[in-house]
Amino acid sequence: MFEPRRSFTAALVLGLFLSAGASGALAETAQDLYMFHCAQCHGLKGMGDGPNATKEMPVTPRDHTSALEMGKLTDGDIISAITDGGTATSKSSLMPPFGKTLSKQEIVSLKDYLRKLCNCKGR
Amino acid sequence: MTSFRRLLSAGLLSAAFLWSLPSHAGVAEGRKAFEANKCSGCHQVEGPAREKTIKDQMAKKGPELWYAGSKFKDGFLAKWLANPQPIRPFAYNSITERNRGDHPKLSQKDSSDVAAYLMGLKSREVKPLGLPAVDNPRGRIIFVKKQSCYGCHSARVRGKMAGGLTGPTFAGASERLNPDWVFAYLKNPKVFKPVKMMPVYAGILKESELKELASYVSSLN
Repeated sequence: MFEPRRSFTAALVLGLFLSAGASGALAETAQDLYMFHCAQCHGLKGMGDGPNATKEMPVTPRDHTSALEMGKLTDGDIISAITDGGTATSKSSLMPPFGKTLSKQEIVSLKDYLRKLCNCKGR
Repeated sequence: MTSFRRLLSAGLLSAAFLWSLPSHAGVAEGRKAFEANKCSGCHQVEGPAREKTIKDQMAKKGPELWYAGSKFKDGFLAKWLANPQPIRPFAYNSITERNRGDHPKLSQKDSSDVAAYLMGLKSREVKPLGLPAVDNPRGRIIFVKKQSCYGCHSARVRGKMAGGLTGPTFAGASERLNPDWVFAYLKNPKVFKPVKMMPVYAGILKESELKELASYVSSLN
């Protein structure tokens, strides 16, 4: 009775270990990534009102809850902007590139998170 | 002449020996003072970095100091510990709570002892390249235009503070930061802080650009 359970647990542990190894790092949720990296400019709720969005800045961070603004972007635009920064989509360099910080999978998960925030689809 | 030279070198040697004594005593006493003041409750003094997830980073209460001797300039810590002034506009790991400027203030003696102890904590990852701390046009262009580092890091521009608030300020960086550490941190941030809010620029900026940026940042006042 114990043996099959043990080997099942061992297989489960091994499986978890392998899947963690495959992604190269422990997976973070899109929400945690957003709060950690994006909220400092885009705000905790994504309204473009993070603490770095001071009056003196030449541009205001994108309001991720705006379906009107976010609807103008394709999923590819969002992924490019996160990966290569604002200049990749002819926007401000104040949006930094995260391509060497986040995995492709994490960037796609953030794109999905933004689509939930704006409740909109891409162009 | 020869005996004069001998006398001179003997004198120099004993002077160097005597000069080194108090600093060694400071290291041992500094370690004690570090514990007595409960600094290790917030600051990690043993490397390497252990954080793997955002949760690990968020659990830290203050900046890690296990490479303080490579990061800071001589004299900075002793001065700062005796009269701590906020380096981060926001509280450590927070983007909602302002830095209240309530870091414990140490006595003059504890400050110099703890500084001597911390300055002995070095990282082999920081190579002594002797990068100069100078305002240079390429570094400035990266900071202001190309990567807009000022979006998160404030600096003093023509006497006025400007820039974002979530990163450490670079006002006073010229007294605080070793340019060689800034370069090492930009080149291989994961060694020092594996999980951080700031993006990784290695692989985006060339090594020569990282050096120019490190020189520029370390020159800011």
